Amino acid sequence: MASADKLINTDVPEKDVFAFHFLQSLSNLRKQNPFDTPDQKNYRVRKIKKAAYVSMARAAGGSSRLWSRALLRRADKDDNKIVRFSRRKRKVTWKISSKRRRSNQRAPVVEEAAERLRNLVPGGGGMETSKLMEETAHYIKCLSMQVKVMQCLVDGLSPK
Amino acid sequence: MDLSVLDRLKWLQQQQMVSPEFLQILGSDGREELKRVESYLGNNNDELQSFRHFPEFGPDYDTTDGCISRTSSFQMEPVKNSGHNRAISLQNKRKPEGKTEKREKKKIKAEDETESSMKGKTNMSNTETSSEIQKPDYIHVRARRGEATDRHSLAERARREKISKKMKCLQDIVPGCNKVTGKAGMLDEIINYVQSLQQQVEFLSMKLSVINPELECHIDDLSAKQFQAYFTAEADSKQSIMADFRSFPLHQQGSIDYSVMNGTVIISLCSNKSFIIPKFLLLVREVTYFFFLFCRKIRHHQAGKLTHNVFTTA
Repeated sequence: MASADKLINTDVPEKDVFAFHFLQSLSNLRKQNPFDTPDQKNYRVRKIKKAAYVSMARAAGGSSRLWSRALLRRADKDDNKIVRFSRRKRKVTWKISSKRRRSNQRAPVVEEAAERLRNLVPGGGGMETSKLMEETAHYIKCLSMQVKVMQCLVDGLSPK
Repeated sequence: MDLSVLDRLKWLQQQQMVSPEFLQILGSDGREELKRVESYLGNNNDELQSFRHFPEFGPDYDTTDGCISRTSSFQMEPVKNSGHNRAISLQNKRKPEGKTEKREKKKIKAEDETESSMKGKTNMSNTETSSEIQKPDYIHVRARRGEATDRHSLAERARREKISKKMKCLQDIVPGCNKVTGKAGMLDEIINYVQSLQQQVEFLSMKLSVINPELECHIDDLSAKQFQAYFTAEADSKQSIMADFRSFPLHQQGSIDYSVMNGTVIISLCSNKSFIIPKFLLLVREVTYFFFLFCRKIRHHQAGKLTHNVFTTA
């Protein structure tokens, strides 16, 4: 899907890529818990949700986006894997300290909304506001694509 | 009050070009007064117009908001302007001009160095454009009416415009953002949209978790036809051919061999069954998906060796 934005490159892959990754992660899930269904429904829901986010991050371009990297890092941290991007994380935190110092002088309306956005968008804590806007645009596109894929799947799988 | 026009008029007065009547006009509306001033400037107005189309300022030149952008430049002769430059430096806080582009920041810096001798920190005096022609090595910074020329505020402005440009892009993506005006409302809309999308993901995953355990093996057995039916819009003629795959024997040991021959792709399992698909009907995505699923299925259900050749379409 080519985007009409000339300033920001918010190209997002087709729906098939998202569907492929999502189904792959779902079958991975089933591989892990093959035949016994866990008792608590929340556990299963959380697993599926996490699989959805991880597959979305992978489909949207793995390491090429800040938010996808942060998502994958968060998911890996839960599984106690070694974090690969620790060097970048340090670089990001340096940015925070240098840019946040002047944050009081920036437009307060925009900044408090940007604060809320940072809590929503993964990896938003280390970004400046303009970069945050780009990441939000790409994130919104990927999220809507993922929602469409999941909706299609639910519609297809639900009993008629 | 437009101080720069005042200064300019004072300078003009020194040049004995403008009568002192005009100082009275300055109490009125800003734009109006500028127009009058420019109408009285006569031939200098033409130079201003021609200077406006100076190619150096390129496509970023912005007059859409109706402000008359003037170029401001530093006057190299200290003698004449020392008087009113001191006046400018006194009124440093209330700076009347100063829109620049990011790439002209270097010019501001260079201008600062030359200006430091004039005792103004980041001041820029608004002078006649005719003087530009005399001194071609001026540093030009485009100034917008009614805004400060402080370097920090210039940087702030450039940054704010970058952010507002990106927010316009966001506005196209988020539906329903056109009705709300202003940054705050738009940002609230965007935040609500992101939150609603995340809630939708959660809701759909709950739905999936309900559906999924009842139909355990269903996903693995998804054929290409179903994949297409679920996820893509086009579904017509390819379905009939792809439907053959549903009866594909999935539990057989052996190899999957894709080979291209004479414009068709033959997918065959090592045993007797093979299917020939016309090449033009193949979608690469579906086949790779199939390939993946078959590998997975065979890996799970058999202990046998799996060999496969990746096919290439000619």
